[in-house]
Amino acid sequence: MADRLAMYIDTSKCMACRGCQVACKQWNDLEGYIPGERETHNTGSYENPPKLDPQTWTRIKFREYDDGERFQWLFLKEGCMHCGDAACVDVCPTHALKHGPHGIVTYERDLCNGCGYCSQFCPFQIPQLEVINQVTGEAKSSKCVFCQDRTLNGLEPACVKTCPASALAWGNRDDILAQAKARVEALKAEWGFPQANLYGEAQLGGLGRIYVLTAPTAAYDLPEDPAYPVISTLWQKVLKPVGQIVFAGTIVGAITAFFIARRNVRMEEVE
Amino acid sequence: MSVRLRGSDSSISIRWIPKYTTLERVLHWVHTASFVPLALTGFVLFAPWLSSVAQSAAGVHIRLIHRIAAIFFGGVPIVYTLLQPRRMWMNLKEFLTFDKYDLLWLKGAIPYYVFGRHGDMPPQPRFNTGERLTAVVMVLGTMVFGVTGLTMWFLKGIMPTWLFQLMVFFHDLMFIVTFAMFMIHFYLAVVHPMMWQSLVSMRYGVVSESYAREHHAMWYYGEERAKKLWEEHKAAAEKH
Repeated sequence: MADRLAMYIDTSKCMACRGCQVACKQWNDLEGYIPGERETHNTGSYENPPKLDPQTWTRIKFREYDDGERFQWLFLKEGCMHCGDAACVDVCPTHALKHGPHGIVTYERDLCNGCGYCSQFCPFQIPQLEVINQVTGEAKSSKCVFCQDRTLNGLEPACVKTCPASALAWGNRDDILAQAKARVEALKAEWGFPQANLYGEAQLGGLGRIYVLTAPTAAYDLPEDPAYPVISTLWQKVLKPVGQIVFAGTIVGAITAFFIARRNVRMEEVE
Repeated sequence: MSVRLRGSDSSISIRWIPKYTTLERVLHWVHTASFVPLALTGFVLFAPWLSSVAQSAAGVHIRLIHRIAAIFFGGVPIVYTLLQPRRMWMNLKEFLTFDKYDLLWLKGAIPYYVFGRHGDMPPQPRFNTGERLTAVVMVLGTMVFGVTGLTMWFLKGIMPTWLFQLMVFFHDLMFIVTFAMFMIHFYLAVVHPMMWQSLVSMRYGVVSESYAREHHAMWYYGEERAKKLWEEHKAAAEKH
């Protein structure tokens, strides 16, 4: 897709101010700290909140990494990867999740019925299910949508707009890739990061987030080679078409058998 | 029971043989009344072309109906086991008993049910091969639906995602098997002209003597005599 857009995330520039987290909440009208209702807390680190949740679509993940020669405090901006081959889109029975324009995996909250398949099939476990009632199953999913209301109108996402360190950028994916590759080379050659690498170019049909990392992917707890779930392929591409053929075949077979039987069965012989 | 024919002095006498208990009939219809909404609401999430029905509030209600129906569907075997454990055990044993006559039944099923060739049908016990296969699939289905459904309902986000994915897969696989089987069961039990008494038996709990003789000879005559009659019938047919 030539007009695919992507987010550039340079972890070497990120200073973990978490302005992106705040801007995301502000633009998308997500809840932050509400005294007595929604507390935030640190968990042995400056990480806060401790994980993505239905009201937190992006956050900075903190990791400590020692390669034997020196120590690095790693900051990784987490959120939906907007995969080229997105399992969440394929398993969503309501089409609330779709491949939108420019490769953005869009989400329409109104259409979501809360089945939660997206949260269970995402290789990165990004979509967060807000369970309103466990017994009735009432729930809503949520995830980063690259500020689809901004980006589909020519603006950049709120997090990119607010980043004071220029660790984030937004633009054509090919341009972003070129920028990221150049930055990785510069980090290796000039800035003393021999393990610098690029993440997101080819994984899962190419990610919508292009990361410049200064340490191996494992140090960020990122899957080295995230795989599209095999069960999703079997379920969507094999089981569902087969099921529909079986149902249609059974109905057609029964109707045909009925008309043949009606001609052949002599009711006077039926007990 | 004897029925006097209108406008004449003659009467016909029908001997009715009990086949199902009242509880069995009630539970059968509770099972049906829960399986059909389960299948239909499940199909909405299964078929991509029905996504508009699965969306937003409609989808929330469809998932709710699915759960309510599931409670009744799962409750049927529990209530049956608690109230009539011996009948349940007896039926279960019969469901799981297959012999060479079942192969003959499978061979004769299409000539019999589609072309009306009565001579091709071997003797059968109280449940014929098709009925027993249906029951085995439904028992197996109830167990698979129970395990996969309950875990998806209550353990989503708690169990590992790969396990959840397997649960979804096997839930849908069992849906295909049971729903296809249900359609065949409906066709044979309700639509098929030769099987008109099956609906009667599920309504009143009895079948006529002649129906039992025709469709369940091993039950009516006893196994030994039914087999002997079948061998004699085959030998006579070969002579001709």
